Amino acid sequence: MTCSVDYGYTVSRLRGMENRLLEPGVFQRLMDSDDLSSAIRVLSETPYGKWILEQQSEEKFDKAIESELLYIYSETERFVPDPGLYFICRLPYDIHNIKVLLKGIFNQKEGGKRRMDLLTGLGNMPVDEMVMAIESEDYRLMPFGFHRTVPECVSIWDQSHDILQVERVLDEALFSLQVKIAGEMPFEGVRLFVRSRIDAENIRNLARLKRMGFESPQAAPFFHNGGSVPVEKVLSLLNEPFEGWERFLSFADVSRTLSSAQEHTGLDSLIVDLERSIDDFLSGILAKFKYSAFAPENVLHFLWLKEIEAKNLRILLVGIGNGADRSVLRRLLRNV
Amino acid sequence: MDQLGIMLAVLGAALAAGFAGSGSAIGVGIAGESGAGIMTEDPGKFGLVLLLQALPGTQGIYGLLTAFFAILKVGLLGGDAVSVNVWQGLGVLFACLPIAIAGYYSGIAQGKTSAACIQMIAKRPEETGKAVILPAMVETYAVLALLMSIILLNSIQF
Repeated sequence: MTCSVDYGYTVSRLRGMENRLLEPGVFQRLMDSDDLSSAIRVLSETPYGKWILEQQSEEKFDKAIESELLYIYSETERFVPDPGLYFICRLPYDIHNIKVLLKGIFNQKEGGKRRMDLLTGLGNMPVDEMVMAIESEDYRLMPFGFHRTVPECVSIWDQSHDILQVERVLDEALFSLQVKIAGEMPFEGVRLFVRSRIDAENIRNLARLKRMGFESPQAAPFFHNGGSVPVEKVLSLLNEPFEGWERFLSFADVSRTLSSAQEHTGLDSLIVDLERSIDDFLSGILAKFKYSAFAPENVLHFLWLKEIEAKNLRILLVGIGNGADRSVLRRLLRNV
Repeated sequence: MDQLGIMLAVLGAALAAGFAGSGSAIGVGIAGESGAGIMTEDPGKFGLVLLLQALPGTQGIYGLLTAFFAILKVGLLGGDAVSVNVWQGLGVLFACLPIAIAGYYSGIAQGKTSAACIQMIAKRPEETGKAVILPAMVETYAVLALLMSIILLNSIQF
């Protein structure tokens, strides 16, 4: 009788909300659409319809997807007992916003333009407050330790003008925060998800850095601590051919993301496939918890499913808009 | 000593009603929370949810039934006064324990199963029949405990 039932209401409500997720049939209809207009018409019949109506043109479908995600996050926030669960999911958007704002400022200093349209409202910190804090250089009230991270990034830029270094510091802050928040909650599944996410990010970075021809000493700062696989182990793979990575990592779950590595002729195609494999791997980590009626990890599972749904929609709509081959689009879809 | 015997019998009745009722209350509460979650999204499922929420409530009824039977046995509910010695009182107390213990734990377990089944019908309303059978399996053990309590109470001679 030690099983906690605190999440009985939450998980049940999420089960009800799962009925609003798009069925595979909808994705099939989207894929069968001749052009973007007909795809948008199909999407209008789904819960995304109300947001599509608000957009002035079909090309603004990304705003409609973002609005639906924001609606889901806001709704979930109201009844999830532990805010850490949705903080973890929304933190990447905060970091994205900081990157957009900082790059805009750095760009402007060099005579370029700022891209405020790339900001998203999906972060934990309201966009207006973040813009105000960064533009006025008044970082004191920024949450999650951003009041230390942002000035550090500005300082790095002032000294080195190295945008990769700035991105690395922000990514490091993201994963440290996720590890910290997960560590404060008594849910092993959440910690497992965060660890797996860091492992997956390290594998993604490994493939990218290998393609860019980085050597181990240069690449080391781009890997993040906190995963199940030690950074040293991942770093050592940089000198190995990518076909053998899965074998070297066979002791870790994340090796599943590389199961098709041997089918690829080069790193370019591996990297494209890796994006899908990583998302499917993380979906698999969380899917285990759907069989538990009271597991708090179901919150992460639902939010992750919604994120994957949004990602699939973006892939399909951008692909259809650009006249991409449907079989290519089908291969890019996650978990459908 | 008669008074102590009566008190032991009353304690048995109180445990039967109290523990089994508590188990039911917790179980119905767990199932109710799940039900509320589902109905927030789909109020049309009220009928199915109510059925599943009510299932863990039976342990409380079994406990109450045993308690009535126990105090009836010692003549506290009218009829001729019965002389109850300490050993007979202890016998009634022990006879009430099966439903008190099994009622408490099975009520909670059934509540959890009902909650899980409520979540199941949220996604698959066509599986309501199976959703009722799963918590009903837990009920078996509450019924067995009730049966044993009644047999034991019947076997005590005054």
